[in-house]
Amino acid sequence: MIRYALVRGALLIAGLLVSSVLIFLTLRVFPGDVAQLIAGTQASPSEVDALRESLGLDRPLLAQYTDWIGGLFRGDLGTSLLSGASVGEELFLKAQVTVPLGIMSLLIAVLIAVPFGILAALLRGRRGGTALSFGAQALAAVPVVWAGMMLIVVFSVWLGWLPPQGFPRTGWSTPGRAIEALLLPALTIGIVEGAMLMRFVRSATLQAAGQDFVRTAAAKGLTRTRALIQHGIPAVGLSIITVLGLQVAGIIVGSVVIEQLFTLPGIGRMLVTDVGTRDLIKVQSELLVLTGFVLIVGFVVDLLHRAIDPRQREAA
Amino acid sequence: MFRRTRRLALISALAATAVILSACSGSPDQEPSTAPSAPDPAATLHVGLVLEPTNLDIRHTSGAALEQILIDNIYEGLVSRTQDNEIEGRLASDYKVSDDGLTYTFTLNDGIVFHDGTELTSADVVSSYETVRTDATVQGNAEFAAVTSITATDASTVEIVLSEPNQNFLFSLTGPAGLVFKADDATDLKTAENGTGPFTLTRWNKGSTITFARNDAYWGEAAGVAQVEFQYIPDFTAGVNAALAGDVDVLTAVDPNLASQLEDDFTLTKGRTTDKATLAFNNERAPLDDVRVREALRLAIDHDALIEAVGAGTTLYGPIPELDPGYEDLSDVISYDPEKAKELLAEAGQEDLELTLTIPSFYGTTVPKVLISDFKKVGVALDVNSVEFPTWLEDVYTNHDYDLSFVLHVEPRDFGNFANPDYYFGYDNAKVQDLYAKALAEVDPDKSAELLAQAARIVSEDHAADWLYNGETITAVSPIVSGFPEDSINSRINLAGVTVSAEK
Amino acid sequence: MTPRWLRRLWSTPTGCFGIIVVAVIALTAIVALFWTPFDPQASDIGERWLPPSWPHLLGTDDTGRDILSLLMAGARTTVFVSVGAGIVATVVGIALAALGALTARWMRETVAVLVDILIAFPVLLIAMMISSVWGGSLWVVIWAVGIGFGVNIARVTRPELRRVQQSDFVLAARAAGLTPSQSLVRHLLPNVAPVFIVHLSWSMAVAVLAEAGLSYLGFGASVVDPSWGLLLADLQRYIGVHPLSVIWPGLTITVTVLALNLLGDGLREATDPTLRHRAAETHTPAVVA
Repeated sequence: MIRYALVRGALLIAGLLVSSVLIFLTLRVFPGDVAQLIAGTQASPSEVDALRESLGLDRPLLAQYTDWIGGLFRGDLGTSLLSGASVGEELFLKAQVTVPLGIMSLLIAVLIAVPFGILAALLRGRRGGTALSFGAQALAAVPVVWAGMMLIVVFSVWLGWLPPQGFPRTGWSTPGRAIEALLLPALTIGIVEGAMLMRFVRSATLQAAGQDFVRTAAAKGLTRTRALIQHGIPAVGLSIITVLGLQVAGIIVGSVVIEQLFTLPGIGRMLVTDVGTRDLIKVQSELLVLTGFVLIVGFVVDLLHRAIDPRQREAA
Repeated sequence: MFRRTRRLALISALAATAVILSACSGSPDQEPSTAPSAPDPAATLHVGLVLEPTNLDIRHTSGAALEQILIDNIYEGLVSRTQDNEIEGRLASDYKVSDDGLTYTFTLNDGIVFHDGTELTSADVVSSYETVRTDATVQGNAEFAAVTSITATDASTVEIVLSEPNQNFLFSLTGPAGLVFKADDATDLKTAENGTGPFTLTRWNKGSTITFARNDAYWGEAAGVAQVEFQYIPDFTAGVNAALAGDVDVLTAVDPNLASQLEDDFTLTKGRTTDKATLAFNNERAPLDDVRVREALRLAIDHDALIEAVGAGTTLYGPIPELDPGYEDLSDVISYDPEKAKELLAEAGQEDLELTLTIPSFYGTTVPKVLISDFKKVGVALDVNSVEFPTWLEDVYTNHDYDLSFVLHVEPRDFGNFANPDYYFGYDNAKVQDLYAKALAEVDPDKSAELLAQAARIVSEDHAADWLYNGETITAVSPIVSGFPEDSINSRINLAGVTVSAEK
Repeated sequence: MTPRWLRRLWSTPTGCFGIIVVAVIALTAIVALFWTPFDPQASDIGERWLPPSWPHLLGTDDTGRDILSLLMAGARTTVFVSVGAGIVATVVGIALAALGALTARWMRETVAVLVDILIAFPVLLIAMMISSVWGGSLWVVIWAVGIGFGVNIARVTRPELRRVQQSDFVLAARAAGLTPSQSLVRHLLPNVAPVFIVHLSWSMAVAVLAEAGLSYLGFGASVVDPSWGLLLADLQRYIGVHPLSVIWPGLTITVTVLALNLLGDGLREATDPTLRHRAAETHTPAVVA
């Protein structure tokens, strides 16, 4: 176990390093010029050069990279080239919207996937089971942005129950309104992710049902359902953990689009804006944070998985 | 000499345009209603804006987003301009221009103090303007090119001498170039301020809101509201939703197609602007160097239908809009005539023309869609290259590498762009340049305007570009708010006279 | 003669549905090259925002363009993007898998690690990274999905390749003098083909979703490309006043993605029903939009 943890840990660090290099390299080769952007459309070339120098954009690439990485270790994620604001501070601020959104989405996804997944497994072969499976497939095929639009149409435009967009400017000091604002977005991501998760739960339940210990329990007199619930649930839990990494990645990505649709001031929307304005340092650090987060979750999930079931071999 | 076009100014105007871009009938013109009860001096005004400044350093960063909220509210200049671009005194109670147009004398008001408590004297004016004149990174540096001396003749008088007359000089002082800062001030302008205006900056929640508070030590008449909170909502649908939810009292740059949703709860005003939706032709590149091709392109566009699709705006047939000096209705120059367009193209040997339109992506898709359709009907295949603004700056603005380009030019008095052969239009007409130089040198404003009008007519008859429309800005004002400006909102929101009543 | 797996595919309801819908989309794309009820680019300001009616069977958009024609033309873009992404994913996937299975040990280990690392990059983030450099376009979608899914395909195909390579009959053939490349073509590829094709189908589904999401964000199709995602983005602005207009493009995307997913699922069952439910069952069209 220790050995495994060390190996995965080394892989994690390698992954972070490779990611950071890839991100940095890709972002430095672009047609736009940030110095020109800040200076304005009628700045003279000398003004632009002066600005470029003062922002450090003319230094050798390696120096810029090591500055960035060194700063990360000190906890300094850099300062925005355009606004002079600290990237770390802004990320922290925006995370106050994105993290709750992610948690709510995950909860909703699990709440949908587990009961329906188990139900689908129990009803296997019957019409109800097929219908559930097909329903899950259909929901998983829905583009998450359209799902959001339809929910807005139903719950905001027609019923008027929930706000169609935006996050209250009073933020979390008015928790009721904040949750209201995050409800539709979380539902959107949760439903689509839940539909995907449901299929895992279903197949994991089916696998568990075929396991010896369940059949033994059934032979001992427990009904198939109860045997499943008593012994199959841990197996279901294990399978959920397996795909948790993918789910988290899916939620992060979903939130980029959903925050745009619902105009939530979160990390995803900030990323989209920064890509558009070519705010180099911010995009670099944001992408690295997001990718790093996915990598770390993957690492933790792998360890958890290994700890809970050391018999399971890694797939690849 | 002439105003610089600012990227964010363009973007802001774009915002107004995009609003206009929605289909459906525009909102009816209504008179702003008066507040139902007495103004509440302790009230907070919530204003919804579109484009947030990247930083607050108005000395070094260009952009209408900064001018919009900072000028006249936080910072002041010797002079400022009214909603319809007339010049009036601000920090200066009085000003005189000598008969030869070379000497400007300003008399300062009494008792002006900076927000940190220091008194403003003519020395501060001199130091501010000297910085503009000598530092190339400061906004307005080009406009001070002809300034030979700036002197404080006494504690409340400043004299500026030019080497040659410049009709636009005084107007340029109503912008960032003319703002007065405290001499040797150490404030970091990116995130803080030390101005003289009726408001102070209290908070900037990036990506969300900027908050001003009333300056109780203001030298002039105190502001009508205790606090102003600007909310930046770049998405037009979200803006409307915020207004409906009561998050904002005033929503600027309302999308005309969505305006109907606000009719019940708000008063909608239509304001004039100097936003010129300019479809630029690369005059230096074939086949656009052929005037017949340019004329054909203009004839192919159904301007009225386009404005209807956009939702708001007025037709504009020349480079000078109504709010600028030298405006003339040039609708006799061009009309909607696709048949004639086809004939001209055939004559010029350009029957199956393929052109590319380079357009910044935030302008939305309505204008490109209509242009594609209109041009197709006369045999021109239009490809659209939607780029990020930095790329537009590089390809179109700097390298002149484009066929057609669409951008909203929001700066007032920027006709000089057509008198500049190095500007991205690539338009080089000696007569226009000559007329423009004379207009600048002319001391009498009316005669100057006449010369400008003559030059503008030549530019339009030369079909140097097409002006798709003159932007109108729609503002939704809650009944509890009064005194909110109507015109030129994307470049100036003067909040001093705005009041909010207690009732809702 | 119809191959056995195809017949099996056709016999399942999901496989049947998948084949039919995908065929219809492909057919529409081809037809749209020559004819659509209206010119999808022709604006008619006087006919804006019509509800489904004659002759605009699905109504019109904000500048009066016919929505049905736009959807038909959009099928062309969809086919283009999904096939393009599929090709890139194929090349990347096979190359990485081959490198990771058929070479010297150090190379195999490196590739295995690399694949594990690259898997973590969600497709959307790859696309945004490329967009911030070269601007958004359909090619960004193709490359991002191609690379992202190519890595995924490699991860699944590599152990398969390895397994087949170590199997008896291949070893025997090699002993008899078969060169590595011959063995690759004759034995390895055909044996991994089933797993591979299944993932290809799934990757095409991802490509369609990616195009929708990226076009919505502004990093995908340009206004001249008829695109379902772009239509969705265009119409979304007016949801407050015209709420139902977004139904058509959204429904079209959903049905297409569903069909491609079902096709993949059906292919999996048809080509090897005894396949262990390992990573194969865990396919996620996830991480896109």
